[in-house]
Amino acid sequence: MLLIGGVVAAVVAGREADDKGTATKTVRGVIGSEKADFFADPDVVKALAAKGYTVKAETSGSWAMEGLDLEGYDFAFPSSQAPAVELAARYKVRGTLPRPFYSPLVVVAHRSAAQVLAANGLATLDTEHRGTLKMAAYLDAARHDRSWQQLKGADKYGELSGTLFISSTDPESSNSGALYLAAASYVANGGRVVASDADLDRTEPLLKKLVTVQGAQQSSSDAVFRDFVSGAGNPLVLVYESQVAALLADGQQPGDLVVLYPDTTVNSDHTVAPLTDNGQALAQLLSTDPQLRGLAVRHGFRPQGSATGFASAGTYLKQELTGVRQAPVPTSAVLHEMARRAKG
Amino acid sequence: MRRTVVLVAVSAALLTACTTTPKETAAPGGSPQPGTLRVLASSELADMTPVLDQVRKDTGLTVRPTYMGTLDAVDLLAKGGTDGLYDAVWLSSDDYLRLRPEAAKKVVSETSIMSSPVAVGVKTAVVKELGWTPAHVTWSQVERAVQGGRLSYGMTDPARSNSGFSTLVSVASALSGAQSALTDADVTKATPKLKEFFKGQELTSGSSGWLATAYERRGNVDAMLNYESVLKGVSGLTVIRPTDGVVTADYPLSSLAATSAATREEFRRLTEALRTPAIQRQITERTHRRPVVPSVRPAPGLDTSRRRELPFPGSRSVADGLLDAYENKLRRPSRTVYVLDTSGSMKGDRLNRLKKALTDLTADFRDREEVTLMPFGSDVKSVRTHVIDPADPGTGLDGVRKDTKALSAQGDTAIFSSLEKAYDHLGADDDTFTSIVLMTDGENTTGAKSGEFDAFYRGLGAQQRQTPVFPILFGDSDRAELEHIADLTGGRLFDAQKGSLDGAFEEIRGYQ
Repeated sequence: MLLIGGVVAAVVAGREADDKGTATKTVRGVIGSEKADFFADPDVVKALAAKGYTVKAETSGSWAMEGLDLEGYDFAFPSSQAPAVELAARYKVRGTLPRPFYSPLVVVAHRSAAQVLAANGLATLDTEHRGTLKMAAYLDAARHDRSWQQLKGADKYGELSGTLFISSTDPESSNSGALYLAAASYVANGGRVVASDADLDRTEPLLKKLVTVQGAQQSSSDAVFRDFVSGAGNPLVLVYESQVAALLADGQQPGDLVVLYPDTTVNSDHTVAPLTDNGQALAQLLSTDPQLRGLAVRHGFRPQGSATGFASAGTYLKQELTGVRQAPVPTSAVLHEMARRAKG
Repeated sequence: MRRTVVLVAVSAALLTACTTTPKETAAPGGSPQPGTLRVLASSELADMTPVLDQVRKDTGLTVRPTYMGTLDAVDLLAKGGTDGLYDAVWLSSDDYLRLRPEAAKKVVSETSIMSSPVAVGVKTAVVKELGWTPAHVTWSQVERAVQGGRLSYGMTDPARSNSGFSTLVSVASALSGAQSALTDADVTKATPKLKEFFKGQELTSGSSGWLATAYERRGNVDAMLNYESVLKGVSGLTVIRPTDGVVTADYPLSSLAATSAATREEFRRLTEALRTPAIQRQITERTHRRPVVPSVRPAPGLDTSRRRELPFPGSRSVADGLLDAYENKLRRPSRTVYVLDTSGSMKGDRLNRLKKALTDLTADFRDREEVTLMPFGSDVKSVRTHVIDPADPGTGLDGVRKDTKALSAQGDTAIFSSLEKAYDHLGADDDTFTSIVLMTDGENTTGAKSGEFDAFYRGLGAQQRQTPVFPILFGDSDRAELEHIADLTGGRLFDAQKGSLDGAFEEIRGYQ
């Protein structure tokens, strides 16, 4: 979602009307907007109330949380580990930061595009609706400005023309766009996380290409996904797996959509920075309570630990993320600089 | 020296009627009220009224729209003019908004509601004559038909309307052969082709609604370029989405940072309601836009075969450079006669306001444009014509300002005789956009009568009858008299009694 420094959009979860006289603790937090639906879900509100908690969550872009004054809040819950680590350092939070759930970045494509990628060695398909994107091959194509017209089989589909690229959100304002650069830079840097100026210099030309080829970028991961669903937009779009999973869990049929798991990807690690004891207790609850973990699955997230129940029915998603390499994410400062250069 | 396109200030006009009320005094969002969301919206969204009525029934939330062109709206956001007056912005696309960081930072969240691609609506008989298969037409084919003189079209002004701007980007991307987002070099490369292409543009308009009206009235224009949703609403058109690519509007409903938590909660409920399958179904069936939830199919008649999405320029310099090229180099130039009432009743404040409005307007004149000032009282007092020469725009603009300064008020009001002289001055001209702006503060008191002017107009050749008169209601002018002139000539009435004179002049720019 859109990141705006200093701006906090309020989503009040845990309506007090649900409180039937039980003494509940009100816990205030700032969350990434992709979790707003989860905290607003009446079943989540009920499950939290049963444990004695009313959560008042306000949304903010994950990368904008670093710019907020969190005095008086019990927790921050960005969609990525790096901003949580920054916040934890600033507010002197000790110990391991709880990561109740996560979601890998995936590429959605229509079947035509997925089949052309597979026929040209850029992807493999395991089912009609699921496959793997070969990142090194894709980045190589991007480096050489490969167009769809140069791929065999693309001429059958009118929409497959122009430069081959993946659409992402704006890496300077949006988490998924930034994580796309994290994954691509890891591969481009020879399988090492970008950490130094030399690494930044080395990866800059390619990352710049990946971004500028897209033209104007959306600032919300929801918007790019909706364009795709409505049949508009680029043939390849980077989204969170949770967005596809939430759609499927809602019983919606996304037609000929194919989910391509990049062989090297980055997880959106929904990480809590607990600022008070109450925040810590809530994070614990989200991580361990079976009912809340089940509800997280309903919203498309993968709970840490066992993947039971995730994607058990269906051919679009992988139940286990086998064969998908998790690239580590550069530090917040490096990622900001990387995004700035890529946009330049 | 080339001037850049000047984005005019706000015009908050309701475009549902034939009369528009230009800026300033037109009520903006209004005061905040629980359960009511004040939304700054693209004018095409007027067709969402029945859907929003249903949403009100379902949720109790009222949407109060104020319609405005995208570029004007983005300008208003950037200047902070929306703070406290609007709760949300709903444009056909936020692509241009994102190129202006001052405007983008006013937005907290964006939720796409529906989509519609840019398309070409061609008269079905013309499609046959051209031998086209509608599912397989490219922009290059459209361009060749235009170049061969076999296809004329109308489109909205890209500087004032998002549909015009998206059309311009589609055409420029496709004809430049750009494989990814347009660059300045692509625009330069495509300029000769684009110039040919825009020779075929016979109609321009500040809004999609008036474009459709003018198109139907003209009868001799072959096609319209606009969003698919707009074209589907015009009878007799075959709607073609060129196979080499389109730009799609995704109508993001965007909440504003300067709103309260309670308002944003209402906003969230509104977006949720708009995305329910029942409402999405209504949207596609009533407005011919495409749904954004997979469980709802696009309405019958909306072809679901895919098209390449042409990337929108990623930098403001490219977007503004393209607009600038269109206005000053690519489009047909305009020739306009300003028929200005300087009768005795204009003396004092009214004349001063006219002088200020005209002087301000000079910032907005385009290269190659011909401007004629025709002040009148008991008769036409003088006819002064200035051409804005691209090599030396200053001279023409100074000339307009100097002549404006010299205006003085005296005499009676000979509206119709003066209009006849304006038509004589413009003559029959097929290479420019000709129009007449009539500003008067009173009723016709001398010279030709209304009936005589009607007969004069009907006696003109077909070509001359295509020149519309845009009357401006000002001071004590007679609405019925001016409305009649607008209806007769295919123009449109602008109201400077409710709005300002500056605003009216500026808004008419979109139609010139």
